[in-house]
Amino acid sequence: MIRSKGGALATLLLLLPPLALYVGVYLLPMLAFGGASVDNGVLGQRFPRLAAWAASAAPVDDAAAVALLADLGVLRPEERAEAARMLNQDQPGFRSLIMTTGNAAGTIGPGLAALRSFDARWAEDRFWFSLRQNLEPVTWRHFRKALGLGLSPDGGITRVEGGDIYLRIMLRTLVIGFEVAALTVLIGYPLAYAVVNAGPRLRGLVLGAVLLGFWTSILVRTTAWVVLLQTNGLINGLLLRLGLVDAPLPLIFNRFGTVVAITHVLLPFAILPIVNVMRQIPAAQRDASRSLGAGPIETFLRVYLPQTLRGVAVGGGTVFILALGFYVTPALVGGPGDQMLAYYIADFMQKQLNWGMASALGIMLLAAVAAVLALWFVPRLFAAPSARRP
Amino acid sequence: MALSVGFGLAFLIVPLAIVMPLAFNGGSYLSYPLEGLSLRWFGAVLHNPPWLAAIANSFRVALGATALALVVGGLAAIGTMASRRLTAIVLWALFVSPLAVPSIVMAVALYFAFARLGLNGTYLSLVIAHALLGAPLVFVSVLNSLRGLPPELEQAAASLGASRWMRFRTVILPLTLPGFLTGAIFAFVMSFDEVVIALFLVSPETQTLPIALFAALRDRLEPTLVVVALSLTLLSGLLIFALARLRRSAAPLGKDQ
Repeated sequence: MIRSKGGALATLLLLLPPLALYVGVYLLPMLAFGGASVDNGVLGQRFPRLAAWAASAAPVDDAAAVALLADLGVLRPEERAEAARMLNQDQPGFRSLIMTTGNAAGTIGPGLAALRSFDARWAEDRFWFSLRQNLEPVTWRHFRKALGLGLSPDGGITRVEGGDIYLRIMLRTLVIGFEVAALTVLIGYPLAYAVVNAGPRLRGLVLGAVLLGFWTSILVRTTAWVVLLQTNGLINGLLLRLGLVDAPLPLIFNRFGTVVAITHVLLPFAILPIVNVMRQIPAAQRDASRSLGAGPIETFLRVYLPQTLRGVAVGGGTVFILALGFYVTPALVGGPGDQMLAYYIADFMQKQLNWGMASALGIMLLAAVAAVLALWFVPRLFAAPSARRP
Repeated sequence: MALSVGFGLAFLIVPLAIVMPLAFNGGSYLSYPLEGLSLRWFGAVLHNPPWLAAIANSFRVALGATALALVVGGLAAIGTMASRRLTAIVLWALFVSPLAVPSIVMAVALYFAFARLGLNGTYLSLVIAHALLGAPLVFVSVLNSLRGLPPELEQAAASLGASRWMRFRTVILPLTLPGFLTGAIFAFVMSFDEVVIALFLVSPETQTLPIALFAALRDRLEPTLVVVALSLTLLSGLLIFALARLRRSAAPLGKDQ
């Protein structure tokens, strides 16, 4: 396209509508989403007196009790409920404590003793400790929870016993992603080879199957696997009729079904990049290698395979990235122990209404994706100029 | 080698090929042997108002999203093409980046944003969200067409006194039309098949076909599900065919096919 003198302004005008949409419904929402992971909401804004006490490093005393009751007393009921819900995420039991105390804030006498006689739980250090930690505008408690970390009473960071549930889910997500990527490459490599090197009929058949898979909705293909793998489904029916098994095999709602179904859904994404790379390898190379005395296996291993590894990396990497975010397929064919990070993000969002945790887990997922992308792009940036793409 | 190709091919095709005929089952179970061939489940879908409403919603949303994605992705591609090299790289990264964001993250982020605007559960929210996923596809496709365009053509038009708009309308747009159409098909299919974001943004009135299918799959398995799945697959097949035709018609223009 011609770049002319008045062109810069015209180009800017052209770019304005797309930039407006991207900023408005993509960049800003993503920033707000990220911000939710550290935003302390009502806790960071509506407890000014208690926050002043917390910042002063004073012990739990009468002043703290007075500050707490004063802050709770001026909160609107829905604000109090929100604060109670958020504190409950930190310390179980905090919700009812805040709600009952808040409702009676005006009737409780000043001082710590009166507060503790109203509800004995105020004698427990953990609630005061939690208040002290959670009144800043910015909070790291969602990330601490996601990483299985907690705060010790002296302010240090400690491991929480049995708190590594989200780390284990992250690990599970990475493992499933890796298994699926490995399987798609193993199954896809021969198919890609057939697309490039087979006779026209087989080539057409394979390419058609790959493209149909690529274009068929994830949900449709997952539907097929649900029907196939069910306890009373087609595979079990066949096995029973052939007398190979006595009772239906557990094929669905477990890791096997999950990995198989995701592999089927993502297989085309592994095959197409490998095909692209294989197409660029001249057939003459193989003839040259054979004429120099190498056997077919040696030719494949030493001449052909090394040149296709770039396609394998792109295909496998794409599948890995896509698999990390899977939600629908594990939800339909996986069991409780096979749900991936995306399931827990949706769960925090829709069922537990804990947007902070949803956001913190979402950032962990994005970080994993970004790490894989960096593995691709950073070596390219530092590659010799001749190796760069034009 | 032949064995592994056979296995891979079977793995790709057999699940769909075995399940799809169950749409024509005369009985109400998803199992073989078929209890006679029948179209009753097709009738069941066509006489079921919720399925029909979901189909209509899907078309409405996909058409709206495709139109918006065409404008946004097309303008983005033309603007990027006309930018300096460094700016163009930054713009390229920005415009394709929604493709790399896991859809669950996008879904939650958009749910936040639309909740603040009071748009959740509206058609508009679905159209905008799906357009955001379709725009990168249109962008890439149109950008490829523009790159394949010999610059002499536009220079010739400019030397003959054609204005910027005139050059776009009479030279560039007709020659890059296959790029726009390819992008439009991709954007349409993307929206028509999208589940995760729609799951967060739909209301009972705006629920799309994949959402209805998802809900039905969790509820109970009936041949109607396979009827819907088969119809979606046929639509995909139709669009692959259209795309192949488009590639062929574009072939003389593109430099490297």
